[in-house]
Amino acid sequence: MKKLACFLLCLVMLCTCISAFAATDVAANDLAYKGTLSVMHFSTSEESEGNGGSDGFRTVIAAWNAAHPEIELNENVIANAEYKTKIAALAAANDLPDVFLLQGMNTIAWSEQGLVLDLTDIIAQSPYYADYNTAYFTPFTTQGKTYGYPVLTGGTCTVVIYDKAMWKEAGYDAFPTTWEEVEKASEYFNAQGIVTVAFGNGGQWQMNSDFVSTLGNRYTGPEWFASLIAKEGAAFTDEAFVACLKETKRLFCDTKIFNSNFNTVTNEDAREYYIAGQAAAFIGGNWDESYIAATLKDADAEKWANIGFAVLPQPADATKAPTSQNIGLGYAVAINPKIAEDADKLAAAIDLAQELTGPAFSSYVAENYALGGLTAAGEVDLSKFDQITQDFYNWSYVDTETCEIYDSYINSAVWGVFNQDLQAMLNGDKTAEEVAQNAQAAYEANY
Amino acid sequence: MLNSIRPNKRTILLYLFVPVLIFVFTVFYPLCRAVIYSFFEWKGGPNMTFNGLANYRMLFADKVFWQAFWHNIYLVVVCIIGQMGLAFILVMFANSRLTHAKAIHRTFGFFPSTISAVCIGMIWNIIYLQDGLLNTVLNRLGLITGNWMSWPNWLGTGNVMLAVSIPLVWQYIGYYMVIMFSAIAGIDSEIFESAEIDGANGFQKAVKITLPLIKNTILVCLTLCIAGNMKAFDNIYVMTQGGPGTASMVMAMYGYNTSFRDSNLGYGSTISVAIFVLSLAVIGGSQWLVKRTTKGVEA
Repeated sequence: MKKLACFLLCLVMLCTCISAFAATDVAANDLAYKGTLSVMHFSTSEESEGNGGSDGFRTVIAAWNAAHPEIELNENVIANAEYKTKIAALAAANDLPDVFLLQGMNTIAWSEQGLVLDLTDIIAQSPYYADYNTAYFTPFTTQGKTYGYPVLTGGTCTVVIYDKAMWKEAGYDAFPTTWEEVEKASEYFNAQGIVTVAFGNGGQWQMNSDFVSTLGNRYTGPEWFASLIAKEGAAFTDEAFVACLKETKRLFCDTKIFNSNFNTVTNEDAREYYIAGQAAAFIGGNWDESYIAATLKDADAEKWANIGFAVLPQPADATKAPTSQNIGLGYAVAINPKIAEDADKLAAAIDLAQELTGPAFSSYVAENYALGGLTAAGEVDLSKFDQITQDFYNWSYVDTETCEIYDSYINSAVWGVFNQDLQAMLNGDKTAEEVAQNAQAAYEANY
Repeated sequence: MLNSIRPNKRTILLYLFVPVLIFVFTVFYPLCRAVIYSFFEWKGGPNMTFNGLANYRMLFADKVFWQAFWHNIYLVVVCIIGQMGLAFILVMFANSRLTHAKAIHRTFGFFPSTISAVCIGMIWNIIYLQDGLLNTVLNRLGLITGNWMSWPNWLGTGNVMLAVSIPLVWQYIGYYMVIMFSAIAGIDSEIFESAEIDGANGFQKAVKITLPLIKNTILVCLTLCIAGNMKAFDNIYVMTQGGPGTASMVMAMYGYNTSFRDSNLGYGSTISVAIFVLSLAVIGGSQWLVKRTTKGVEA
């Protein structure tokens, strides 16, 4: 009996393994290289639970590993926050792994230091090039040279997630399209002891990535940021951008729309207010959406069914792009130039980068999560997904206008100062003009 | 007699060789490298440009750095009073003849020192949450009213430095208690007995007998306390990351941000050198002050 149980168990495990690999087929190209290839990324097993991009990344890397048993992948996988610190330290020591993930804002500095391989010609020769969404390469391109394959999924960084039932009770059929209406609604919610919109800026980056990046586009339009990236005259001190900062300060400091502790809690804390029914809406990124949807689906089916998505409401004095939201790929697979000395090893690294961002990845995330990556995966059959996934797909890729994610560009020294000052401004310690002046000074000194 | 069991110089050098080697490579060598890097513009990677004293000139004009320095001084003052002062009072109580189960007091007092700073930061973050333990208790006591949205936000107000200091005080009281316990154990009990016969009360015994007799231990505690708080980092990193804005920024946190967040390793090294120099100055200054003020007492 025991032997039979063991046999059945082994059979089940074997089938599970086969099905796992069969789910994603990478191109098993012949590679001459035999040896180790070091890879560093942040798609941890915890991160991959409910996060389509991370799950797809882990699945494809496992499939590539299985397809190339002669190459030993030496994976270093750490959480995103730690990854940023560690990869910066390794870059400083000129000791980067063979293959790693490059953040858009580091492209210029690291390419100047010779830390990333110029992949311009290699990408152009990729077998999947025709299916690439070439707009995603922009953050990783400087002076006409491209330094990475954009990776993971193209998700929004600014989505308003709201509880349709709560807003219906407040007298709104959908989330308001102007901040005036939200402010009016906050009188109702505050009287109920409910936060109107939950937000967390404890990590300092959230206000930039999840709010100002989109709100700024409503004031300046995309040309201003394009000019800022290209150093063609735009400045943080430009009137339109300062107006965006003033409006941000007004919304967070002078109204009672947001939780008063927004500057000390993280987005992870703030989204719990929404999940627990303590907040009627939440502003965050696609990673928050996947967490909220996955949590509520198991814990509270009724609240899950009431999830609605909206763009940031339009400020009264903003004149541009009222349905815009910032979306893009913040990281790219980059290759250490040191391995270019070994042509076979370089070929293996390129093959890995192409597969991690190619059709195997895109098909997996499209079929399992209705998400998109660098390579087009053809028409996504939405009918097999639940309503919330379908709604979020349409909201992300069909119904809204897109704009850039600020901190995918320029560099970390500028955004570090800006994010810190932004938090200080919302704590009442700085004016919008001071924030703009300091950011401009950091921009001129470091970019 | 001592000379007969004392190892010869060669043996002593052999024993010292390994720890000295470890010290040189983990402390002295990195410090020397930091001094060298502090004269370069180095944004990470292999390329560095010598820029002389430019980083030091920038440091003197850097308002955030000096704000962080004063935050460290604030931490030092709060922790000297909170950690050492409270530890001394608690030791006096625990050493009293009226106190039972002294070993338990010692163990539980020391317990927070054994918890990692990251865990302590997270625990206190939960305590400080707007709908967290502290506000809930204050609400139950009737000291704050209304719903949680209007309750105090301890890490977001002007009191953020005090809020981040309290966990540090709580964590290290036990550490200084243990040091003071051992120092007091070395005082001859007959001195206290004679003082009691002469009618000295507990306060007089603590101030007139115990404090002067453990002065050297107090100086060691003072040095440890200042050194520890001049390089404070982990609790603050977990609790506020120096925020909101720079409201709880300390020097080590600023150096870390400059080096790794902003990838400005040259200036980050300058900040590290400044932390070292300023810490030595504060420790030296405080020891000089203590010796000067207690000179008359000893005499």
